[in-house]
Amino acid sequence: MSFFLIALTYFAYVFIVVMYAVKVVKIVRMPVHLRWELYPVIHEPKSDYGSSYYEDFEQWKKNRRKTLRKGIFFLLRENFCFSEYFKRNRGYWLVLFPWHIGFILIVIFHIVCFFGALVMVAGVSVSAESTFILGRTFYYLILLTGVISFVTGSIGSIGLLIKRLSDKDLRAFTTPQNYFNYLFTLVIFLSGLYAWYFVDPTFSEYRGFWKGLITLSPVPVDYAAAAHIILFALFLIYLPFTRSLHYITKFFAYLWIRWNDAPKDKKMVEELNGLLDQPVSWSAPHIPSGRTWAEIASEKTSDEEKP
Amino acid sequence: MKKSLKLTDIARGEDTQLTEINPDELIPLPPPYDKVEELPGFKRLTEEQRERLVCNLDGVVSYAALPKPGNKQEEKKYVEQFVSGLKKLLSKENNWTFLQPLLLSIDYCARCQTCNDACPIYLASDLNDLYRPTYRSEIFRLLVNKYVRPGGKLRAKLSGSDIELNWTTISRLYELSYRCNLCRRCAQSCPMGVDNALITRELRKLFSQELGWAPKELHEKGTVLQLEVGSPTGMRPNVAIDNLHFLDEEFTETTGIEVSTTWDKEGADILLIHSAGDIIAFPESPISFSILCNAAGISWTLSSEVGGYDGVNYGLFYDDIQLARVAIRHAQIAKKLGVKKIVMGECGHQHKAFMTVADRLLTGDLDIPRESVMTFLENLVFSGKIEFDPSKNDFPVTLHDPCNIVRNLGIVEPQRRILNYLCPQFREMTPHGVDNYCCGGGGGFSVMSDVNFTDWKVHVAGRMKFKQVIEAFDGQPGPEVKKYICAPCLNCKMQFRDLLDYYGAREKSGIICGGLAELIVNAMVDMKKPFIGWEER
Repeated sequence: MSFFLIALTYFAYVFIVVMYAVKVVKIVRMPVHLRWELYPVIHEPKSDYGSSYYEDFEQWKKNRRKTLRKGIFFLLRENFCFSEYFKRNRGYWLVLFPWHIGFILIVIFHIVCFFGALVMVAGVSVSAESTFILGRTFYYLILLTGVISFVTGSIGSIGLLIKRLSDKDLRAFTTPQNYFNYLFTLVIFLSGLYAWYFVDPTFSEYRGFWKGLITLSPVPVDYAAAAHIILFALFLIYLPFTRSLHYITKFFAYLWIRWNDAPKDKKMVEELNGLLDQPVSWSAPHIPSGRTWAEIASEKTSDEEKP
Repeated sequence: MKKSLKLTDIARGEDTQLTEINPDELIPLPPPYDKVEELPGFKRLTEEQRERLVCNLDGVVSYAALPKPGNKQEEKKYVEQFVSGLKKLLSKENNWTFLQPLLLSIDYCARCQTCNDACPIYLASDLNDLYRPTYRSEIFRLLVNKYVRPGGKLRAKLSGSDIELNWTTISRLYELSYRCNLCRRCAQSCPMGVDNALITRELRKLFSQELGWAPKELHEKGTVLQLEVGSPTGMRPNVAIDNLHFLDEEFTETTGIEVSTTWDKEGADILLIHSAGDIIAFPESPISFSILCNAAGISWTLSSEVGGYDGVNYGLFYDDIQLARVAIRHAQIAKKLGVKKIVMGECGHQHKAFMTVADRLLTGDLDIPRESVMTFLENLVFSGKIEFDPSKNDFPVTLHDPCNIVRNLGIVEPQRRILNYLCPQFREMTPHGVDNYCCGGGGGFSVMSDVNFTDWKVHVAGRMKFKQVIEAFDGQPGPEVKKYICAPCLNCKMQFRDLLDYYGAREKSGIICGGLAELIVNAMVDMKKPFIGWEER
């Protein structure tokens, strides 16, 4: 059992990283698209009222200074606070926010467990009574992130289930997979809560498991803790088959599309020339099949002479 | 009215309508437009039309020529074509232009319905399910997942929303793709960055580029006519020159100022490309530019090349190929004339299409600098070359923000600086700027008038905007105070003309609509008589 837990956990982490990486690479490698920005564009100096550099007379003669910092900061803050939801859809935010806080904290919980285990391997005791500040810090971080994650995640899962079932507008657009997701996450968060409350109130078993994971020395854990470990590993394996990547794709949607106001540069023109040389196979009568994009778009019509 | 719709309803019921528009079930308008019984009725389809036309959506037909399959084989052919189009939309070769934005919008919608509250059509309809931004796009997603992706049919069965692709689905989706203004207010409100308006545009593109279906006003009498004879208005180059020559003479006589339009001047600083529809429908607009450019001593010209005197590009609304053809034509004409820059006319979608969307199609020597009319006019007004008297514009003025210039291009303030300077009674609508409501003519609607589509435009698509306009002039409701909607976009002006005519707002409230350049000319000290004629509009 102990070995199985370790093998499953390793597999789950490798699986999710590889699957997410494949998906992200696929998005990154898509061809350059036509401009489709939407204002306000956050890096514009006058973005408060939605203005762009096109408000400057003969803007092409001016130097533009563009920074990604503001946009990335906005999106990171969004991923933690969901302020756009708070502003536009408060009722939904009330349940969405705790659900996502549950996720964020459960991820942080595992990261802290990993580093806590490293500290333990280095000989530092991680407990409330540890003589090392580092040991006490990890102890309380693990405890706080774990417990808050299980509580908020459970509240969010139940809240989203109720919200989606009770709101007719949301219900019409909710799939069986959505309901399954809420139930699955509820079970995960509740299993963690159960294990903590009834079996492992200081997460000592969980810390031991993580130390065993790093040193490849399986240690036995209680069934309740084992159940949570298995459920969480299955959850990691399941995540790539959901829309969970939107945490990352949101960055592409904003930075590469909504806020992408970049004029062409040399590298882009090279790529564009390649794309314009590709044959088109649309079937409508006004599109001669088999000819390239560039040929079709720049063709002359017979009635072009001036009168 | 059937308001509660399931996603799967799109495929059911064959020729029956999914919903019906009843004006008394739409959101109420402010007085004196709140009495439905006093307004002209909604034009219903006749029995003969119902028999002849495809009218299985909401009792409105935007494209009378939509073919009906005569038998099962024909229906199967349309279904196969639609699936083929879906696959092409998702392929790099055929749709590199929008592949990445489309896939990110298909795959990562959280189905939270936040965007619905931003849609002026959904709001105006008093929350009719059919007009949700998410309704058509979610159906599109389900069809993509079922028919294009591996294991799609099995997943569709498990999803609980297994939509059958049949003639009913396809014909309704076609019509439904023309119930969205593409204003992108929904996209602006999406916390995930999903763009349901883009999905609508891609759906239109599939129909146009694969099945050859598009509203005749946009395609056959739109881009095709523009590329063949010069303009969707049907004006050939010699007619455009004659018309403007006639207008030059007429306005010289009525204004007392020498008006002359320059044509085909090689090496001019500026090639100005109006919307040719302005020459016919709003002649004060092109004349205003002639007056202003001449008064400021600008080296400028119009082009009489085929397509060179009409800046519209309806391809933006439905077809990438046509978009590219028109944009490249405009750039080729400017290159031939050897101008230093191209200035857009007062036309929103011309701005969006030519300045940004086509930017990556204009490579090499076709990449000629392009300037918005807003910055061009602002520079001209504040250059000190022309003397103005703002008291000449001392009447209530409000500004309509064309979506394609403001939300889609970020040009918000120049036009406001002009109005704040030249119009003492300028007031904003609420909301405005990048949060504005579309006039209801966006996405090509302003030129579409097949069967009873105009009724839908004035009742539903333009309702939020009309409400905003009336509220902007709150406090001066009567016709005795003349009021001006400044709409610096031909398509918006045409939609406003339809709205004002339909509701009788000129007579009941004294509201007219015009462009920005006319207000500038009206405030010129050299203009001895008022340029804006309240009676003629």
